[in-house]
Amino acid sequence: MPPPNTPRRSSSVDSAAQSHLDYLDLDLGEAVPNIPTSAYSLSPSAPRQQHLHLGVDRQPGGSLNRLPEPNLPHTVDFRGLNYADTVDENLLCPICRVPMVEPVDTACDHTFCKDCITEAFKYSNLCPIDRFSLTNTDLHKAHKIVTNQLDALLVLCPCCTSPVPRAMILNHLERYCKDALVRCPGQACRDTVKRKLYGRGCLHYDVSCPDCNMIMQQLEMADHRERDCQERLKDCSHCGDVILRCKEDGHLEKCQYVPASCEWAEYGCDYESRRKDLAEHADVCAFKFVGPMATILKKEINNLRSEVRTLTEKDHIKERRIKFLEGGFGGQRDTDRPLDYADLPSQSLSNLADSSHADPLDSGHEYLLSLVEAQETKVDRLSAGMTELEAKQTMMLFNETIQIKNELAEMRSSQQVLSMHVRWLLNFRRQENQRRFGAGPSSGGGTDGGGSSHDMPFPRRLSDTMNRDLVTKL
Amino acid sequence: MTFATKRLQKELQKIHGNLPPGISLVSAEGFDEWLLDLKVLDANPIYLNQTYRLKFKFSPSYPIEPPEVTFHKTADRPIPMHPHIYSNGIICLDLLGQQGWSPVQNVESICMSLQSMLTGNTKNERPEGDEHFVANNRRRPKDIDFYYHDNTV
Repeated sequence: MPPPNTPRRSSSVDSAAQSHLDYLDLDLGEAVPNIPTSAYSLSPSAPRQQHLHLGVDRQPGGSLNRLPEPNLPHTVDFRGLNYADTVDENLLCPICRVPMVEPVDTACDHTFCKDCITEAFKYSNLCPIDRFSLTNTDLHKAHKIVTNQLDALLVLCPCCTSPVPRAMILNHLERYCKDALVRCPGQACRDTVKRKLYGRGCLHYDVSCPDCNMIMQQLEMADHRERDCQERLKDCSHCGDVILRCKEDGHLEKCQYVPASCEWAEYGCDYESRRKDLAEHADVCAFKFVGPMATILKKEINNLRSEVRTLTEKDHIKERRIKFLEGGFGGQRDTDRPLDYADLPSQSLSNLADSSHADPLDSGHEYLLSLVEAQETKVDRLSAGMTELEAKQTMMLFNETIQIKNELAEMRSSQQVLSMHVRWLLNFRRQENQRRFGAGPSSGGGTDGGGSSHDMPFPRRLSDTMNRDLVTKL
Repeated sequence: MTFATKRLQKELQKIHGNLPPGISLVSAEGFDEWLLDLKVLDANPIYLNQTYRLKFKFSPSYPIEPPEVTFHKTADRPIPMHPHIYSNGIICLDLLGQQGWSPVQNVESICMSLQSMLTGNTKNERPEGDEHFVANNRRRPKDIDFYYHDNTV
């Protein structure tokens, strides 16, 4: 057997790194006559297909750099894809009759595949539908809503036949499809394998079929043994049925004619017969009562064992918690601090199992949280008291200021009255003085008469002003 | 797989589904040549109780280029009498020429056009110079420059 990773077919593919996988059309159902179907083909110089509507620049070289190993760039013929559902007539290109690829609008408001209409222009520059005269410049990318609808159509993946939105098909093939080809994981191997086989290493080495001795690659062996091998069938030596050689082991496990031992062999029954006869033996087997009981007991014991295990684990956790709490309280007494993780016994921390790891932390957190809560309630109480006090203060202030204001008004009025009196007295005094000194030679009764005439209005006017003042004050 | 094959696959799928009355698929072995049977459904006395066979030949550039469509004569499938159909089965119809063809036409629409062309006909005659044309023509139907003068039928 040749060593693995022998690149047997490397000459046929110059460079797998440069190759594109071309998915050509698959069959379209039974109604269609013989169509040359080829799902994949390796074509190093595969023409670049429609990618523009996907909005991704997919230069062959660029996409190669972009894709992580071992993915290969794929090309998909969008016109050859099969769609999961029937597609709305309006989304079909009138020329190629498949859902439009890279749709363009004409000046006369018709929509075609870009390739179709360009192809049609080679023969005639008339719109295929209404014969409107057009040029290449009259073509515009179709409205986003059309491309979105087209991109959302579910197509069947040419490899794994699972439905994928059309816009995602390349991404699906290049990265996810289990049946799409990827680079062979073998170091020296330049072949390709299906993605689902990638994990099994390079399968491109020759082996001979154990049934027919034909030499082929390990990659093809499973298929060969199941479908193509001339010697794949054999008669079962026990039951005589025709079986696949590669499935013989599976068959022997079920074959009714294979000798088998009694169901309760492990408890001591040494009866052996063909599998189909075991049922008869089961009725008479000496272990037919003990056997089921033993199984039940075994089960029960296993249950109990697992229960005990969980209980011990729980116990351990509790012990650790108690230790931690004790350590925590000691720390509080000593340092007047509620918690100090440094005080924890280092043993308990290092021995913590995954499940109980969070426990000491949890109780610490809980304690801190309770402290915080207590503080919060205190703060709440304090703030409530504060607001109460504030209200009281304002009321008191208000009451007192009102009294003061009233007193102030009273005092102001009495002061007015007083000043009135003083003015009257001053006037009175001035008149007295005039009378006393005014009886001189220069001014006789003339001034007297004038004086008396001046006298009268003064007190009246004064009383007037006083009244007015009182009115305004009150 | 060529453009034509893909398109014809689609058409065949549709034809297998349903065809208009009077049109039936005879054979479509591959994508070069199809045979269809055509009947005129109304009581036109010229075509009463007759079935005609149409032969479609597709080039790789179908549907950009028109297919070659002729009536095919067999023992029980005559060539219909029509002033635009020569006795060798060649049909003079602008739809089938480079000028009148449009890529949105398909096998079904051609059949329907021919059906209506026969239905609307009242003249039980061959085109002018039929004998001469049939005797001398060596060109393929699509290369013949028909002069589409008569728009009445």
